[in-house]
Amino acid sequence: MTIFHWILLAGFVICLLSCLYHFFMALPAGKDIDYATPDAKTRQAVVYSFTKAMSPKKKETAFMHLPTYTAGIFYHLGTFLSLFLVIFIFFNVSFPTWLAYSIIVFLAFTSICGLSILIKRMTSSLLKNLSNPDDYFSNILVTGFQIITAIYLLLNTGLEYYFIITTILFLYLPIGKLRHTIYFFTARLHLGIFYGRRGTWPVKK
Amino acid sequence: MTQLEIEGKVFNVDGDGFLVNPQLWNEEIAALFAKHDGTGQLNEKHWAIINFIRNHWLENDMAPMVRKICQNTGLRLKEIYTLFPMGPAKGACKIAGLPKPDGCV
Amino acid sequence: MAGEKVIIMAKNNSLTEKQKKALKLLKSRLNGRLLTHLNSCVHCGLCGESCHYYLATKNKNFIPGKKVDIVSSIYQRYHTLAGKVAPRLYGAKDFNDKTVEELIDIVFGACSMCGRCSVHCSIGVDVPYIVRTARSMLVEMELVSPGLQSTVDAAINTGNNMGIPRDEFVDTLEWLSEDLEMEVEDEDASIPLDKKGVDILYTLNPREPKFFPLSISAIAKIYYAAKENWTLSTNVYDVTNYAYFSGDDKGAKELTERLCDEMSKLEAKTLVLAECGHGYRAIRWEGPNWIERPYPFKVISVVELIGDYIRSCRIKLDPSLNKLPVTLHDPCNMVRGGGVIEVQRFVIKNAVENFIEMMPNRANNFCCGGGGGQLAMSEYAERRIKSGKIKADQIRKTGAKIVATPCHNCIDQLMELNKEYQLGVEIKTIGELVADALVLEEKSN
Repeated sequence: MTIFHWILLAGFVICLLSCLYHFFMALPAGKDIDYATPDAKTRQAVVYSFTKAMSPKKKETAFMHLPTYTAGIFYHLGTFLSLFLVIFIFFNVSFPTWLAYSIIVFLAFTSICGLSILIKRMTSSLLKNLSNPDDYFSNILVTGFQIITAIYLLLNTGLEYYFIITTILFLYLPIGKLRHTIYFFTARLHLGIFYGRRGTWPVKK
Repeated sequence: MTQLEIEGKVFNVDGDGFLVNPQLWNEEIAALFAKHDGTGQLNEKHWAIINFIRNHWLENDMAPMVRKICQNTGLRLKEIYTLFPMGPAKGACKIAGLPKPDGCV
Repeated sequence: MAGEKVIIMAKNNSLTEKQKKALKLLKSRLNGRLLTHLNSCVHCGLCGESCHYYLATKNKNFIPGKKVDIVSSIYQRYHTLAGKVAPRLYGAKDFNDKTVEELIDIVFGACSMCGRCSVHCSIGVDVPYIVRTARSMLVEMELVSPGLQSTVDAAINTGNNMGIPRDEFVDTLEWLSEDLEMEVEDEDASIPLDKKGVDILYTLNPREPKFFPLSISAIAKIYYAAKENWTLSTNVYDVTNYAYFSGDDKGAKELTERLCDEMSKLEAKTLVLAECGHGYRAIRWEGPNWIERPYPFKVISVVELIGDYIRSCRIKLDPSLNKLPVTLHDPCNMVRGGGVIEVQRFVIKNAVENFIEMMPNRANNFCCGGGGGQLAMSEYAERRIKSGKIKADQIRKTGAKIVATPCHNCIDQLMELNKEYQLGVEIKTIGELVADALVLEEKSN
């Protein structure tokens, strides 16, 4: 283990602990008791909230904005894959060449998706009006993370840079908009409970 | 506050078109408002309703129940809706120069 | 830590007493649900097309994300480390006169809390919940829109939101009762007032007795046909709760408690709500949380009750009595926010010959533009009518001649849209359609 390994590990632990804190604070608890008698089971609605309600068939933000939606999905897949690869790179596990190249090509594509979303944010007047510096920085950080993952896999050098960027990502994640890593899940949960009790999701007969 | 111009005359009205200062009301204003909101030329029945609403408001500081309008003008309920297509509140009360009533109207 | 404390103190010193009260309210509401929704927007900006305000005005500040942002930016400033240390980086905003002014314009003037954006949000942010929280902050600052506030005050001070005196209410109901007797040609037909031990306590929107009593006659006729054991209270009958709109939980609680007291005083079994969107949501779903206990009685909408009558054959309908094509407007608070979705369709299909769905509908339906207390806020009337264009276009496309909707508030907005956009339709309650299709039993004498 080099010093960079230790730094990355520390960053990861800090990130994990902060995320857990955010997560537990955001769960339904004590003060959230709903005294109204529910019309339907919430379990079903929470499942619906995470599945069908998210599908492009149901959601305008998806079907009316298919290019952005698709870019967003791939961008997120690239992020998840890169995060998953941290484990392998940390323990210095090497990949067969074909797999490494497949990952590189995929990450190159997802980075382009990320960049296109960034460009949209920088050029659309609607988005500029809505964005703050954190929105741009978060995108640059995550896209950068995907790019440096691909570069490391391609060249097999620059591990220090990879570790530094990854550490920055871990440390920044609980602070800015990247917190939605946690809050996305609690939002779907709360919305599922809300519409579930009332019988809106899925529609009660 | 919004300004409403009808046939060259300017009135201060709220966003819903009710007179901001109901004291300024007169019959000429009523006729202009009626023309503007599509009620059209005011006939005797219109005036009976308008005058009753106006007097009720002056005496009680509130618009009368539609029941009272029927009782005092001898008109049937459905006639009132025909005479004032915008209804008793946004139609008749507005033309009678009352402030906008509270509630879902 | 000490340094941070100094910064916060300095900042708080510049706050007025009222601003401090508003921030205190925000803090007291910060539970898991509110924390979640204040923290989860990613500024993707895809929500604009789901909002009738944005669609009708193309005003960049009216996209739901922006509405969430203004409330969230205040939260960030006072409750997150990042917002305290580097507010500019995170768009965190000081709570000052300018922010308050923006907040009023957005949460009162540019949102009907219809919740359509939440259903379609990439993340699932509960926008109306955040907007209502902001309205509650403005209640603390006594900055509620005057028309909304006076409607709440009228309800609290006089027992109904239009300030109808009790004797005039009774007089109107007696008149309607006589009319019913004549219409059904039965001396025993009546509108029972303050009757004890009934199965059903019915409620009204005060605009019914005041200006539009035909909907009361319609429901009374349906009750008569179903031989229902029901009553109206002459003291507590108001189905509306404008404190839900204004964000005033104290007022909302008071109005809910009054209904509970009346239910127990009259020993009624079920509280039946008149056709009122926000009234349904406020009483059925929010009320128990304001009074912090479940109701000891059942609450249903009169539309659900009519559905039961049809299913159990307690009333008989002849759809050929309603020949004109009918479409349905789904009131946001009753449908998306209330879960009453299919029953009104079942009822209408049984009452009319030709029913045409509006597109989109059900939980995806657009607000008429009059929700969220907009009808009571004259200062935003122009925006309200403009935002209603989306609904007007929806109606026009159906080709229907009658628009039915189980909400008196929507009816008033739809009446204005009908005139403004020259739709040439008639607006009716579900009860009125059903009453027109009623087939009364032949009397057996």
